[in-house]
Amino acid sequence: MSSEVIAETTRIGDATVVRDENAAEPIAVRFDHVTKTYKLFKNDRQRLLATFSKRVKYDTVNASDDLSFTVPRGASVALLGDNGAGKSTALKMITGVCFPTSGLLEVHGRVSALLELSAGFDMKLSGMENIDMRCQLWGLSREESERLIPEIVEFSELGKYITQPMRTYSSGMRARLGFAFASSIRPDILVVDEALSVGDRKFAAKCRDRVRGIIARENVTVLFVTHSTRMAREFCETGIVIQHGRAVFSGGIDDAVAYYERS
Amino acid sequence: MLFSIIRENWRWRHQVWNLAKIDLVKTYRGAALGKLWLFAKPAVYIFVFWFALRFGIRSSADVNGKPFLLWLAAGVFPWFFMSDMITTGSDVYRRYPYLVNRIKFPLSLISTFYTLSLLIIMACMMAFTVVVAAIFGIHPSVYLLQLPLVMAIMFVFWVAWSMMLSPLGAISRDFAKLMKTLGTPFFWLSGILFRLDSLPHAARVVMAFNPVSWCVEAVRDCFVYDIWFWTQWQDFVPFLIVLAVVALLAVHNYRRLHTEVPDVI
Repeated sequence: MSSEVIAETTRIGDATVVRDENAAEPIAVRFDHVTKTYKLFKNDRQRLLATFSKRVKYDTVNASDDLSFTVPRGASVALLGDNGAGKSTALKMITGVCFPTSGLLEVHGRVSALLELSAGFDMKLSGMENIDMRCQLWGLSREESERLIPEIVEFSELGKYITQPMRTYSSGMRARLGFAFASSIRPDILVVDEALSVGDRKFAAKCRDRVRGIIARENVTVLFVTHSTRMAREFCETGIVIQHGRAVFSGGIDDAVAYYERS
Repeated sequence: MLFSIIRENWRWRHQVWNLAKIDLVKTYRGAALGKLWLFAKPAVYIFVFWFALRFGIRSSADVNGKPFLLWLAAGVFPWFFMSDMITTGSDVYRRYPYLVNRIKFPLSLISTFYTLSLLIIMACMMAFTVVVAAIFGIHPSVYLLQLPLVMAIMFVFWVAWSMMLSPLGAISRDFAKLMKTLGTPFFWLSGILFRLDSLPHAARVVMAFNPVSWCVEAVRDCFVYDIWFWTQWQDFVPFLIVLAVVALLAVHNYRRLHTEVPDVI
């Protein structure tokens, strides 16, 4: 799976998304004048009508507005910004679960995301079945997942609960399993969205160690979204400040934090 | 676009197969009998039909020398599959929200593996029908050989159906509800419980464009009528036209709306 490089270029309207698994490319992620517009309708009926007719009126909001930045391979970058500045939208676009409205987005390498850790699981399946399914979707072979799964289960500290349906888990248990999976599958690009406050203090420390280990590995690019400037300083070398969907500053982490705190 | 959808499905074929199995596991989860339910449901229905025909309706003339019960089973079991496709198959994205907006996963595959999972259930029911018929002395004819082909065509049609409607179902809950209410009318209008040749000519022409009745009749070709379905061109050609239209609309809707679906789920 890893030897085969799959490049895809998707054009949707004015937007272009280039995505491949080439982890040798010096650029990991590049946003070039990317805008993401959400359409806001009064209700579902209006939204349905709009799929048939162009005359239906709707409001728009630009979650990303002419966003441009570049993340080089192997960097660990903090995205700083207030709530609603468009950080999560940017991360979702990198992950590939959301499409830009216009502009060019390039992602080189496989992305694993720690977005809303408790989500992304099937509540009717057990923890084990979920992990097994996610390993398959990630494209791991039978042997690879058989090697990885015990490691994930051990890290999550779920013990016997792992064979119980996910719906019986507490939110902390789900988040632990989510973190254990997303950080174990060896991605080229790791996206971390406020995820390091998982579980109790001991587990949070374990998570931070894990992320530090990933950052230390060569060629792994880490994108970090946080409000906590302390955490950003701890993990990242560079920082990008995002305001109103736009990258307003990009530079060393100390300068970025200073800029963010001043604004 | 059509080719990129097919390529996507081919590239992810192992995952599609595994997800179909996982969907089955979910359907029968928590039931003590587990996989036995695949056969228990058709067994119960066959018994109920037998009971109703024996003591209730009593108007069960043989069809083409085969028992009316077999004719009924060959219509009702495919209907279970199609009924699920009409009601839940037109809203698959809401069934798997985490595959839509938590994991990068091609949306077109959700329709494929969900249809596949339902088709596996139908295949089990068909196998059950063959075995029960054989026990009662009705041996399968050479025309049963076309059943896999009929099921393959049904698979293609209903995947296209699901891809055509699911984006709309995701955007509007009203639309999803509308599809759910359409289930029962389709059942009564599609000749599952009555013979289509008893209809007046005009109604038969209209019915030829009803995909549900084509599927039911094609399965009955294998079990009861003993004809090759492609020789019934007056039914097959209209069905192919409907299939082409549905496939076109599926590609059209998918291309237009698949980027919007993650924003609304």
